[in-house]
Amino acid sequence: MDLFLQQVLNGLTLGSIYGLVALGLTLVYGILHVPNFAHGALYMVGAYVAYFTMVDLGLNYWLAMIAAGAVVAILSVLCERLVFHPLRHAPPIHDKIAAIGILLFLEAVVQMYWGADFRRMPTPYTEILHFGGLTIPAQRLLIIAGAFGLMGALHLYLKKTMTGATIIAMAQNREGAFLVGIDANRVAMMTFAIAGMLAAVGATLFAPINLVYPAMGHLLIMKAFVIIILGGMGSIPGAIVGGLIIGFAEALGGFYISNEYKDVIAFALLVVILSVKPTGLFTKGVR
Amino acid sequence: MKLKKTFVRLATASALVMGMGAANAAEVNIGFTGPLSGGAALYGENTLEGLRMAAEEINAAGGVKVGGESYEINIVSLDDKYSPSQAAVNGKRLVQQYKTPAVFTPHSGGTFALQAFNQRDGFIVMSYTSIPSVTEKGNKLTVKIPPSFTDYIEPFSKMAMETSGKKVAVANATHDYAKYWTKAFVPKWEAMGGEVVADNPMDYNKSADFYTGVSKVLAAKPDVLFIGGASEPTGLVVRQARELGFKGSFILMDQAKIDEVAKVAGGLQAVEGSVGVTPLGSSEIEGARKFVEKYQQNHKNVATSETAYNYFAMHMLAQAMQEAGSVDDPAKIRAAMPAALKKIPAEYNPYDVNGISENGALETDVQLAQVIDGKVVLRRLSDVLSQ
Repeated sequence: MDLFLQQVLNGLTLGSIYGLVALGLTLVYGILHVPNFAHGALYMVGAYVAYFTMVDLGLNYWLAMIAAGAVVAILSVLCERLVFHPLRHAPPIHDKIAAIGILLFLEAVVQMYWGADFRRMPTPYTEILHFGGLTIPAQRLLIIAGAFGLMGALHLYLKKTMTGATIIAMAQNREGAFLVGIDANRVAMMTFAIAGMLAAVGATLFAPINLVYPAMGHLLIMKAFVIIILGGMGSIPGAIVGGLIIGFAEALGGFYISNEYKDVIAFALLVVILSVKPTGLFTKGVR
Repeated sequence: MKLKKTFVRLATASALVMGMGAANAAEVNIGFTGPLSGGAALYGENTLEGLRMAAEEINAAGGVKVGGESYEINIVSLDDKYSPSQAAVNGKRLVQQYKTPAVFTPHSGGTFALQAFNQRDGFIVMSYTSIPSVTEKGNKLTVKIPPSFTDYIEPFSKMAMETSGKKVAVANATHDYAKYWTKAFVPKWEAMGGEVVADNPMDYNKSADFYTGVSKVLAAKPDVLFIGGASEPTGLVVRQARELGFKGSFILMDQAKIDEVAKVAGGLQAVEGSVGVTPLGSSEIEGARKFVEKYQQNHKNVATSETAYNYFAMHMLAQAMQEAGSVDDPAKIRAAMPAALKKIPAEYNPYDVNGISENGALETDVQLAQVIDGKVVLRRLSDVLSQ
């Protein structure tokens, strides 16, 4: 029983991080229909900013998280302004190529300045809690609480504020949104900022139990794409549920079936779900 | 018509490039193909750095002296992203465009790919991999730089059994090299009276987290964990195993280095009892100390064994060129290597390499390391086995 609960906990940890990264991806996709391949690179930059704020500037973990969120939000908006906005009338393939370009650019810049070394991000929460036979490091609890907290905050923001409502309106119907006078530029910038912020906070939460290096985003972005396809492109609940499904599939499948085949299990699940519901679990659009 | 013009231009351009490559006569190009981007970029950069350091020293000392002329060493490095097919493409390009008499590669896949044509195209494969089959296939122009990993299995097993017990769980990585290790390790461990209680390899490079895999092997209550892949993810595995309450010791596959693992795992006490290859920084060999000193003058990070081994191999290659009296005849250079090994100064030899086998494997009495009471304790391989 303890072993089972331990795996549930692992699934929850992984699932909440996957969900958080997938959320940013799905938001951008819902508004602009751009598959932002650079999202993993933004996640990586977030981890580096947090790392250097903590190690070089000596600020505490939470300030580092805020700094990472702010810097990556600005970077994300810059990407929108300088790259995706000028390409808005171009064929969709141009956006995709541009996104891959940003990904390569960011990775190369980080590697050039800080090298390819693996770094360990320190965390103030190093306690290890024991409940019966269950082992829970404090940082893992923080990841779960932080991720779900952020998801809740995002939900409130989209439902209860005017700017949030404009984002939903854009995702539901572009022309309709223009007709009632919503400023498309503002909404696009907003969405990119939120997506970048989510990626950076996710990175700051996850990095202390993992490593910081230039290629760290690859791992998550692959999973995040699977998740948003699984959950329905552009769907917010889809990203969260999809994240949890993949997280649990990896943890439980890896433990009870085979660790070598845990990715196979996750992808088999994707195939099964898509053959039953080809549009993904949740219908398209932010609701 | 237009197409023809383009072709003419292309031909002229490439002729020009090739011409430039060959024009500088007092220079010898040495090739490198390895991962310089992606997840293994750090490893590739480290091996390449060893070559660069040696080349700089050789050039500063007047270059390679052959037949009254001195040649500057010029390292030409190409990125293969760890892919054997890309390594083969790079190898062709290095020989044809840069006329390299030797190509260094830090992975077994690249080595096998280059061995497909190195004797025909005429270049030495300087292979930084510890898979014994690299030199067992009769390729006459291959040099295997580090010791074979199979040399470690018996002493590692012996040391771990004495320290912790006879029940081992396999939780190493899933790449080819790790599989070779497991295949050689499991029968040996069992032949020595041990028991394998769990076998659960994990993808060290593509896993976001090891909790699942580690808790699975720990459920079988092992005394010893056999782990290893790149040092840093291995450190994560150690840390998570300790968090989940594992009290035994670890056998570290030679790819992982104790000091680097400890850095990620949370200090040497986290790897208490573990056995592995000697971290360069703790070595007492004169060449190793000199090398670490030199390395630290220009680098902020810690010197690694892949840098040191490649540094040595470059020096040895240059020495062999002088002995052979040729910079472009690979067979002659290879034949001069035993003589070169006798002449190479100790300060260029961080691992006390003292010979080369007929099929091209460099030989040394390896030092092994074990963490005892939070300190790295070194032992010679021959001592461990003779006890």
